[in-house]
Amino acid sequence: MSRRSTFNRVAPNRVALAALAALSIIAAPAGAEPATRTAPDDGDPAAESSEQYLINAGRVIVRPGEVLENVRILVRGGSIAALGRDVEAPEGIEEISGAVVCAGFIDPWSALGVDAGSLRDQRTEPATRTADAIDVHGQRHLRREALRAGVVAARVQAGGLARVGGVGAVVRLNPDLSAAEALVLPDAVLAMSVGLSRGGGAMDVFDRQGEVDRVRGALDSGLAYRQNEVEYRYDLEEWEKAMAEKEADLEKDFKKAKKDRDKGLAKAEEDDKEFKEKKYKEDKKPRKPSFDSNKAALARAAHGELPLVVQVHRAAELRELLKATAGVDRLRLVLAGATEAESVAETLVERRVSVLVAPSLARSDARDEWAGADLGLAGRLEQAGVEVLLGSGGETPDLTRDLPLLAASAVGHGLEREAAFEALTIGAARSLDVADQLGTVEVGKSADILVLDGAPLLGTTSVQYVFSAGRLVVTPQN
Amino acid sequence: MRSTIQSALALTLLAAPLLAGDGRLAIRAGKIITQAGEAIIDGTIVIENGRITAVGAEVEVPWDVEVLDATHLTAFPGFVEAHGNRGMDRPNENIDVAPFLNIRDSIDPVNFYFEDSLRWGVTTINVQQGASCVIGGQGMVVKPFGMTVEEMLVRPASGIKLSASPKSGKSRATQAQALRKAFTELEHYLAGLVQKQKDGDDSARREALYQGRDLDSEEAREGRAQAGSAAWTVADLELIPRGEIDEKQAPLLDLVEGRIPAWFYCGAPMDVRVALEVARKNGFLAQTTLVLASSCWKAADEIAEAGVPVVLSAALMHIERDPVTGEEIETFVPKVFKEKGVRYALASSNQSTQSLWFQAASCVAQGMSRAEALAAVTTVPADILGLGKRVGSLEKGKDGNVLLLSGDPLSVTSFVEYVVLEGSTVYDRSKDVRMRHLLEGETPEGTAPAGSEEPKVHEHEDEVVTEEEPVDAGEDKE
Repeated sequence: MSRRSTFNRVAPNRVALAALAALSIIAAPAGAEPATRTAPDDGDPAAESSEQYLINAGRVIVRPGEVLENVRILVRGGSIAALGRDVEAPEGIEEISGAVVCAGFIDPWSALGVDAGSLRDQRTEPATRTADAIDVHGQRHLRREALRAGVVAARVQAGGLARVGGVGAVVRLNPDLSAAEALVLPDAVLAMSVGLSRGGGAMDVFDRQGEVDRVRGALDSGLAYRQNEVEYRYDLEEWEKAMAEKEADLEKDFKKAKKDRDKGLAKAEEDDKEFKEKKYKEDKKPRKPSFDSNKAALARAAHGELPLVVQVHRAAELRELLKATAGVDRLRLVLAGATEAESVAETLVERRVSVLVAPSLARSDARDEWAGADLGLAGRLEQAGVEVLLGSGGETPDLTRDLPLLAASAVGHGLEREAAFEALTIGAARSLDVADQLGTVEVGKSADILVLDGAPLLGTTSVQYVFSAGRLVVTPQN
Repeated sequence: MRSTIQSALALTLLAAPLLAGDGRLAIRAGKIITQAGEAIIDGTIVIENGRITAVGAEVEVPWDVEVLDATHLTAFPGFVEAHGNRGMDRPNENIDVAPFLNIRDSIDPVNFYFEDSLRWGVTTINVQQGASCVIGGQGMVVKPFGMTVEEMLVRPASGIKLSASPKSGKSRATQAQALRKAFTELEHYLAGLVQKQKDGDDSARREALYQGRDLDSEEAREGRAQAGSAAWTVADLELIPRGEIDEKQAPLLDLVEGRIPAWFYCGAPMDVRVALEVARKNGFLAQTTLVLASSCWKAADEIAEAGVPVVLSAALMHIERDPVTGEEIETFVPKVFKEKGVRYALASSNQSTQSLWFQAASCVAQGMSRAEALAAVTTVPADILGLGKRVGSLEKGKDGNVLLLSGDPLSVTSFVEYVVLEGSTVYDRSKDVRMRHLLEGETPEGTAPAGSEEPKVHEHEDEVVTEEEPVDAGEDKE
């Protein structure tokens, strides 16, 4: 699998880290734009669609705050092939007209399209891949419903309530795609949780604190693993260089050594003593550290190659978690749920930690940690300057369909509409490292876009057409 | 008590050496369905040394060969069970990855299953570990007759069982993780061995000596480069004598090198992707047969593309409810695979039936051709097992396995009258005490008369514990 670049917001400021970055196994330095992305495991992604369309759009929301009027969009080969006033229509192409075109919505915290047992599994490990639990044959109607509501992709996660949920994946929700086509990114995030009541009652405060320590412990083991790996490569390189130099020296000095030896031999014979060879010494070859898939996954998260999404709710754990992870400079932390996140809003802004809010309308099965959740959280955090993402909560598959509705209700409770729209499109795409494919309406991106009859996230606007990887999957007729 | 009587019966039946012959037999049958060309009316089958030497209408029978007069019966090659996990004292194992185990240690020759197999006319059975595993033990092909496993043996190494469906305690995500991990570990183990060898550390040899493994045979001393088509290779593997490879890893390496078949269980259509991916990546796709649950017809396209054969190990009619309309949707599974061009064998181990003829007859009832249905229980499974030249049809050179039926093999009124295995008559319905007991109410000698009470265990009436459930008055309350 090709390595992906990072989206680090925190510059590596430690000398040690800078040294590590110089070595090839560390990702590109912070600030670099994403260049290469991981492709799904097998085969090419959905770019093979033979369908093509021309969309005549009254308004195109390219990205939040950037709107073009009276534009034509050419969808071909799965992606947006052209966009502009004077895009020519190839002969015989199907034309579609609509008032507003925008990027399809992404649910960054969904339970849709994943094997139910894997969602509930609490024995998941850092290396557990949600991509292996994606069920392209199941929940077809729910996925279709989600598409009709404009939700085109989702981050799904095995082990949603486990302490460590493993690696989450971003998938397209189009039920007609094969697994290879549906997978946008098989390794999008690493998920953990702190202080959830799992099955039994709520844990006591010390256990919850213990879970915070575990998160830090896990990250440390990842850091140590990577450090070892880097040191090994460095040591090996050094050793090989040293050996090469040594050999060159020995070759060079061989004549002299031979002369000395012959002299020594002659002298020993003369003195009637036993000849002693010179003792040869060299440094031991460094040993390769043993492979550990779990620590490798933790290392990727600790180094910011994967965002770390931690579901955590209570003020005390939020505070402690932020404290515990403060030293992990490259970490890209996303807090999920975060019911009491207002109390740490300042730190969140300062550390540029985003919060994934699930603005649920009602929770009949509300667990302890969700107590006090209200629809205003997203708005208040946003006003405090925290980057807010919106998700459906990762437990109920049906809720992914309702994400636009949930977002609209968050808007009704104080979240700026534009912030909500950003959260569902480019905000989610950026956080999940899929912004090269999803999240905006730009030439070259995958055509996962919506045609609406009005402004997005309004109760009166309906979704007219939905494109998934360049295929027209929803029309007013179907 | 009952089981004692049954065991006694089993022994009576199995210890009937009078029936067995010396591997030489001529059978005159009213009709011979050969499964290799047209049926023969009033034909003869000659078996010598356990193999068929002649089949036809005009066949000369050597003067000293015993003749079984079955001119009122129909001869048919025995049914072939491509995959099953009955006949063992324990079909599953707790260890996740246990390729070092062998079914031969678990097969129970006096298990009723084998006796019943004769009654149902199944003459070749591939016994594999149950599906509750990650990587299970190695199976073997047996015939259902013999007092020891050696006597039953047809082919000793019929392949390793794997499962893409979660074993207890796992979810699909962690099951896939465990599967992948087993092969990653193999790769790292082998690379480690090679490195050790290069570094002059031959502790693997001492470990093999300590464990008493074979190091002297040619096979064990041989060092071979990694063969096969796996996506990974360990360089310089030829430095390692094969005998030094640990017994847990050696069978997996055989699998990776394509030297033994794989039987990959899929309990849901989503499992097929993981199974095929694991098989492809680790180089044993060409040796893989998928063992499928009914719903897996949904993955028929993927299976057809991969070109692997399948064993349909569950109900042939898949029934599900449309989640939107509530309508019941019936899919006849073999038909789907036939349409997609996938080679399939029917298996008997499921709740709806115990017999292969019933499975084949169901196919005919669903409109499939008789030839297709019969092939799926004879020649196709024989081919999948690599025994196409030995069993599955009545031809010169094949094993002398013949069923003599009272009618057509797919008729519900037909009985298996005789079973001939490798030229020996091992079953004769007229002497089947148990069958007569069950069907005709005939009491076998030495058993208590029907209706007689079992001896009382308790001396005092009031000590007898009532088996009736106490009525719980509070059961209905919320």
